[in-house]
Amino acid sequence: MMKKFTAFLKAYALPIFAVFALVLGFAFVNGSKNATTAKAGRTPIVFWHEMGGPAEVALDKMVDDFNKSQDKYEVIPQYQGVYDEAVQKIIQSHGTSASPAVFQSFDISTAQMMHSKYTTPVQKFIDEDNYDTSNISPVARSFYSNKGKQLAMPFNTSQPVLYYNASLFKKYGVTPPSKSPSYSEVTRAAQELYKKSGHKVKGMTIEIYGWLMEEALANAHTSLINNGDGHTGNPTKINLNNPTTKKFLKWIRTNIKSGDFVNYGSGASAETNEIAAFLANKLGIFVQSSAYIGQLTTGTKNKLGISYFPHPDGVKANGVGIGGAALWISNDKPAKTQRGAWEFIKYTQTAKNQAAWQKATGYLALNKNSQKTKILKDLYKKIPSAKVPGEQLASAKPNNTNSGILMEGMQLTRELEQTAMETVYNGGNINSALNTADTAMNANLKTTNKADGR
Amino acid sequence: MLKSPTQSRPRTPLSVQKTKSKIEEQEAKFTLNAKDKYFAWAFLGPSLLILGVFIFYPMVRTLYLSLFLTNTVGKTTVFVGLSNYISLLTSADYLSSLGVTLFYVFAVTIITISLGLVLANLASKRLPGIGLFRTLFSATMGVSVSVAAIFWLFIFNPSTGFLSLISTFLHLPQIPWLTDPTAAMWAVIITTVWMNLGFTFLILLGAMTSVPTTLYEAANIEGASSRFQFFHITIPSISPTLFFVSIITLIESFKSFGLIDLMTKGGPTNATNMLVYRIYKDAFYSGNFAQASAESIILTVIIALFTLLQFKVLEKRVNY
Repeated sequence: MMKKFTAFLKAYALPIFAVFALVLGFAFVNGSKNATTAKAGRTPIVFWHEMGGPAEVALDKMVDDFNKSQDKYEVIPQYQGVYDEAVQKIIQSHGTSASPAVFQSFDISTAQMMHSKYTTPVQKFIDEDNYDTSNISPVARSFYSNKGKQLAMPFNTSQPVLYYNASLFKKYGVTPPSKSPSYSEVTRAAQELYKKSGHKVKGMTIEIYGWLMEEALANAHTSLINNGDGHTGNPTKINLNNPTTKKFLKWIRTNIKSGDFVNYGSGASAETNEIAAFLANKLGIFVQSSAYIGQLTTGTKNKLGISYFPHPDGVKANGVGIGGAALWISNDKPAKTQRGAWEFIKYTQTAKNQAAWQKATGYLALNKNSQKTKILKDLYKKIPSAKVPGEQLASAKPNNTNSGILMEGMQLTRELEQTAMETVYNGGNINSALNTADTAMNANLKTTNKADGR
Repeated sequence: MLKSPTQSRPRTPLSVQKTKSKIEEQEAKFTLNAKDKYFAWAFLGPSLLILGVFIFYPMVRTLYLSLFLTNTVGKTTVFVGLSNYISLLTSADYLSSLGVTLFYVFAVTIITISLGLVLANLASKRLPGIGLFRTLFSATMGVSVSVAAIFWLFIFNPSTGFLSLISTFLHLPQIPWLTDPTAAMWAVIITTVWMNLGFTFLILLGAMTSVPTTLYEAANIEGASSRFQFFHITIPSISPTLFFVSIITLIESFKSFGLIDLMTKGGPTNATNMLVYRIYKDAFYSGNFAQASAESIILTVIIALFTLLQFKVLEKRVNY
């Protein structure tokens, strides 16, 4: 009997297992939470986004609420992976039945989307509806507009801020940085903390991240590229090797030399590591996206301090630009679908939805009136410093240098900026690192302009 | 595609080879009638179609793209001939990528094979409880790239990582594993070797246990040392397997992608920006399909060259 059973197992174990795995697989596929077709009588609006984790949950809820709020359209959210890859998916699928009606695309893809001519600028619908945009943050709006025309609607928006561990500063009796600190002020705070803690706490870090360096330029009212950072005309020259960039890198270099600065490298792992160190009381100050407030305030007894993005000594802070992504409308769908996409975009911008979005994700509420809602008032009562990023956003007056860099190939530019930062962080010469980046960036820009016939 | 390592092909006697080739000649002269041709197409057609659509067309398309510039939406605009290739092969950035790739590939292959040999040699001894060690040594085979990357990222973490804790405890200087260009390369190499080791170990162990014991018995009677036995019996006997494993490891490390993406993203200062990762970044991050195509063609040529070289050089030393 036993022998027969083992013989049976030997002969059939694999096929049985295979069938079992298949069935299990199908069960999960069918159980996936997002529907792919709309209910009868509704126009389907396929919405591609790149929000994972808690933000995806919050976004799905917003979509759900929109679908319940009316009966003409049904928005179908589909997660598309990380920002960079999604851009290529959106562009390559354009004009096919697989393309989305409305999609989320990140900050530095703005010029690419604009030049692709694959989208309907939302200005068309703003004009049709006489939609009042004055409640929406002007700095965020100007990032996604060109020559007064709104190309896309800002959605998840963050700004870089300076975080400090207020409890640690109190413990070691060090005065924390002020609300809008200068470089030397941050250095002073970081060095004192490092010294007074007996070198147990590292003073500060700044991730090797092109975005942060661009924001340092924006805050000092310096353009990276000509033609007003691309806002007044097609860019033809990039100039990273300028006094402002040098000041920024020299500031970092000073702190690296005095030992209070710790380098966590670049990318997602750097962000994970700096947050882990910060929460473990091993790091006093770091500059990072405001979207991390949630992570920095859950599961810790430490008081979180937040200041504005630092500015160079003797230079008035110009205000920083935004990061994040915007919602775009594809122009390869019928008018009715495009209208539905716009209705959904309008829904995402209401004071209440933006407030809920900020609370759930840490992205900043773009609607001015969100600050008056109970949701955000309660949040600020619990975490007073959570108010600061919103104030920073509101304080910035948009101009060319803090409205982002409107140039194609920004991904590659960021890479090259990052390489320059890495060189400097690892002890290389500042001037030659910036020159190397400039040469490569300008060569790429030339190729891009040639390929586009501009 | 590749033959199983433990099945070495028995050498065909010369006379048989001759008769075989005569038959082949006769078959070649044999002309197909119309019905046979029809059947030939019917049987070959589907596979040719699939190969054509999924292999040959993309290959030709890549070659085509590499001769143009591509615009924002990835369409070809200006014909530039070989200028994509020239600008790549004269760019210090690309050449340094080539350099790091070669360093990485050889370091991984050499270290993996050496460690695999040591472990397999230890585990091939017939001792009580050796099964446990065999299982442990081959355990990394079941670990996926992402798990390995995350596991090692924790170990390399500069403030809370295992290695940093040890060096703090022993008052040794901290190594910035993932932020220093040289250290990051070694971090990636260590992780890759760790991942590859299970497979290499298992294959080599299989080969070692199939070496006839009579050879060792004879050597023991002659009074040969165990080191002598290892280099003069074990290594020659398993050389076909060694050849197979080294090719596989080499080609696999050329294609290494997941670990780089998860651990360093090609940084710092492009120290781990290998050729495959660069292609991916240029194509799908920067949208520069023309340049990425040129890079793909160059990589194809390089891998083909290495495979050829390996067959030419190593085949002579293989003891079938």
